Amino acid sequence: MLIFSGKNGEMLSENIWGEKMKAAILQMEGTNCEEESYLAFKHFGIDVEYVHINLLKKGKKSLEDYEVLFIPGGFSAGDYVRAGSIFAARLKAAAWKSLVKFVEDENKRVIGVCNGFQVLIELGFLPGTNGISSVPQAALATNNSNRFECRWVYVRNERKTHFTSLAPDVLSLPVAHAEGRFITTPKIMDEIVANKQIVLRYISPDGSEPEYPWDPNGSMAHIAGIVNSYGNILGLMPHPERAFYWYHHPDWSRKKRGVGDGYYIFKSLIESMH
Amino acid sequence: MKAQEITPGVYEIKILNASDEELMEISESMGLALTLEEMHKLRDFFATLGREPTDIEIHAIAQGWSEHCSYKSSKRVLRKYIFGIPSPDTLIVMQDDAGVVEFNDKYAYVFKIESHNHPSAVEPYGGAATGVGGIIRDVLNMGAKPIALVDPLFFGPPNYPYESLNPGVKHPRYLLNQVVAGIRDYGNRVGIPTVAGMTYFHEGFVNNVLVNAGCLGIVQKNKIVRSRVTKPGLKLVMVGGRTGRDGIHGVNFASKILSEKSEEEKQAVQLGNPILKEPLIHVVLEANDAGIIQGMKDLGGGGLGSVVGEMCHAGGVGVEVHLDRVLLKEKGMAPWEIWVSESQERMLLALEKKDIPRLQEICEKWDVEMSVIGETKDGHDLEIYWHEKRILHLPLEFVTAGVEYDRPYKIVKKKRMQEIPVEPNYREILLKLLNSFNIGSKEWIIRQYDHEVQGRTVVKPLQGVIGLESHGDAVVLKPLSDSWKGIGITTVANPRISKIDPYAGALYTIDEAVRNLVAVGARPHSFSDCLNFGNPEKEEIMGQFVESCRGLGDGARALGIPYVSGNVSFYNEAFGVNIPPTRVLMAVGIVDDIRTAVTMDFKEEGNPVYLVGETREEMGGSEYYTLIGAKSTTVPQVSLEKLKKRSGEILSAMRRGLVKSCHDVSHGGLAVTLAEMVIGSNMGAEVDLAPIGFMRPDFKLFSESPTRWVCEVDSSRADEFEKIVNATRIGVVDGTTLRVRDGTRWLFNIHVNILREKWRDALREYMG
Repeated sequence: MLIFSGKNGEMLSENIWGEKMKAAILQMEGTNCEEESYLAFKHFGIDVEYVHINLLKKGKKSLEDYEVLFIPGGFSAGDYVRAGSIFAARLKAAAWKSLVKFVEDENKRVIGVCNGFQVLIELGFLPGTNGISSVPQAALATNNSNRFECRWVYVRNERKTHFTSLAPDVLSLPVAHAEGRFITTPKIMDEIVANKQIVLRYISPDGSEPEYPWDPNGSMAHIAGIVNSYGNILGLMPHPERAFYWYHHPDWSRKKRGVGDGYYIFKSLIESMH
Repeated sequence: MKAQEITPGVYEIKILNASDEELMEISESMGLALTLEEMHKLRDFFATLGREPTDIEIHAIAQGWSEHCSYKSSKRVLRKYIFGIPSPDTLIVMQDDAGVVEFNDKYAYVFKIESHNHPSAVEPYGGAATGVGGIIRDVLNMGAKPIALVDPLFFGPPNYPYESLNPGVKHPRYLLNQVVAGIRDYGNRVGIPTVAGMTYFHEGFVNNVLVNAGCLGIVQKNKIVRSRVTKPGLKLVMVGGRTGRDGIHGVNFASKILSEKSEEEKQAVQLGNPILKEPLIHVVLEANDAGIIQGMKDLGGGGLGSVVGEMCHAGGVGVEVHLDRVLLKEKGMAPWEIWVSESQERMLLALEKKDIPRLQEICEKWDVEMSVIGETKDGHDLEIYWHEKRILHLPLEFVTAGVEYDRPYKIVKKKRMQEIPVEPNYREILLKLLNSFNIGSKEWIIRQYDHEVQGRTVVKPLQGVIGLESHGDAVVLKPLSDSWKGIGITTVANPRISKIDPYAGALYTIDEAVRNLVAVGARPHSFSDCLNFGNPEKEEIMGQFVESCRGLGDGARALGIPYVSGNVSFYNEAFGVNIPPTRVLMAVGIVDDIRTAVTMDFKEEGNPVYLVGETREEMGGSEYYTLIGAKSTTVPQVSLEKLKKRSGEILSAMRRGLVKSCHDVSHGGLAVTLAEMVIGSNMGAEVDLAPIGFMRPDFKLFSESPTRWVCEVDSSRADEFEKIVNATRIGVVDGTTLRVRDGTRWLFNIHVNILREKWRDALREYMG
């Protein structure tokens, strides 16, 4: 695959879709990874906008106008109750019908990163083993270490999806969360596995079964990211937007890269809509 | 105290005929923390007006005159030594709430560090969180986007015996846990990365924990907002949080010594709310982008009282404020409480009347409240109204100019001496040093802070192989998406050396700040200083302050690095014990191209290892002597000329790509520096100390002489490096152990895993 990398380490921007494709980055008080995410979409020439939840509520912006919905990380409303639950409740109140229409359109894509993943679970979109669930089917519980941790991990790309088709087998990405331990019931876990919904799993650097800190939170089946059963919604705890450029990686002075590993998630997503 | 209600909630206080005893009773019962001399000044002033003051007038003046607001003990010393160091790149220095320095043609960076010590001692979680919140506002109100936080922290030792604690004093472990949690929960939620800091343990901080917080932001030069208003007729608008009874008398509290009763002053501690701050940042930056802000200041210490006064006084206009228009958290607050409340998350903006609807629209989008509370006027007076009745009328000059003191001071010179201990077991000493609180891994703290958010952190606080990292000397941020130019940040303090000799310690602190920046490839550019001291009314403490400032001034002036912002925290005294003099520097450097930045972990086997700088037998204040209990007052002496030369040489070699890793030599000396480079890279090294010269090996290994670095150099270009940098070749990157000899005598050979485990265990045993 061609990597658009200049000889001095700059990443030349790629314009795959012109200004035709529109992406919305959702905002509310406490979302805070929107800027990195914005730059990642901009890199591909996507017409990307910040959309505050109040603008949806007041009808000043409409989800119908976008092809991609990105729910960024952060601490929406402070996450003083279960992470993501207030954001989800506010989204439901503001734009439930258009949201459902959006995710049921298989030509559209939704990504939730970190707090965004928590929101997608609270909304019942993920795991979504049989479509949208009226109650959450899983939870992202407090890390086994019982504290917020910011560190880089390795994840294995389990299968080619809309979001990972161009990604290498192993990616290095940062996590930064206190609640990221994926848990669910044995029945739903069976469905997730049967539907092949697991996309990213934590692994140790030598490829073996990961222990803490390589699995930073103690997730069931070491799950770092999953898609819904239709494959158009991705939720993941690691932050691809913070690993977009080679210089985002902590070991760039030890290992040469043309692009950051998170780049491949965005690239796959955009190519999948071609 | 004689008083008479003149309108509901407002009292006239009878001071014109009050005796000295009554005056002090007024100061005490109103919580003013003013001295008798200051009460006399107050009484004499109202005598010239021929009337009694209202309670709000007295509170307003007391606040303006507090040590915290007026810098009354420090101002003259600061003017003499710290202010006015010339630099071609400074834009706004020591005038507004944060310093502004040129970054490139289009952008400037804005930064400041300040203390939040007293609140953190009585309410560590809330105090630390609020410290972070306050410093963010200082940067935000220059119109800048905050992009980095730093947090230097100072505690008593985690293993301090509980039974030795004074009444009311909290244990260092509890304080450390709570302070880190406060910084974490605020900084992470507000979406600004906490990238640097330091944690230092010393018995002198058992009674007085120090929590300093710094913030750096970036702003387009044509969008810089001043903390002053120069035009009459502008509307003053409060934006953000509501005003409540939290934080009343915070600045007066900060200007007192702590005691067992301090717990009762918890109401002086403000309560922060990051989820109000986060949208408030958006509101301010959007309004600034819209070009409608004519002046702005954040409400921190002193609340509305100090902000309105300082903003208008600095700009030479008068002002009228209607306190009944301030949005409140609770009913029944007296006007004076509203005026001095230090409730958090509030900003005061000055706008043209026509621009108010635009601000309203932005506030509505972000669900942030605002209210128009007053207007600037011709003249030089401050007038406050309460339901249309005027309850304060004073010249701004009298309220804000405050008082200044020439405090008497005494410089205590310690006689130079140095014990020579018996030669130690080198392996044992190195492992003990790695396992000590000040040197051991701070990973437990660093990882609880999100240092990656915003995607600008290109050289991280922890450096090396993923999962095995060690401490970096400084971080590097890439502030702009379309430029390779970077900003290096580090924080430094040396309480132990400074306690022996404040002047030499100040120079050493500057040396270490420069060393840290140079180690990552950053050219030192500007400083912000947070000066933490004991009680300035004691002559020897004031002497420490004067000597420290003299050192900071001499050092920075010789290097051409200006202080652009700063803060003084006095009265860090409790139970008769003063803290060691603790000047914290937040130092900022420029990395011309982040692609040439360097980290501290070894990169490749076979690369030669060099020591830059001179090692001397100056063990005063060193970790080694502290560990073995040996005494020395012979502290490291800095040569500013050598510092300048060596820094230039290393930066030049880095620009050419010759240096593969670099780490400064500081706490624990050369041995600890090498061990950390080994730990982070998972690569060993073989080192021979003989080329350093004739000296006992323990001095070579553990001396903390200044202006030294260890550099790993590209093996194919060692000659080129030797031509540029004055350095001594001491070894090679090799294997999986750190092996050190002095000529033919082997001193130790320790596997990297053992080094790492000892280093990681230092705090793990206490903090988990």
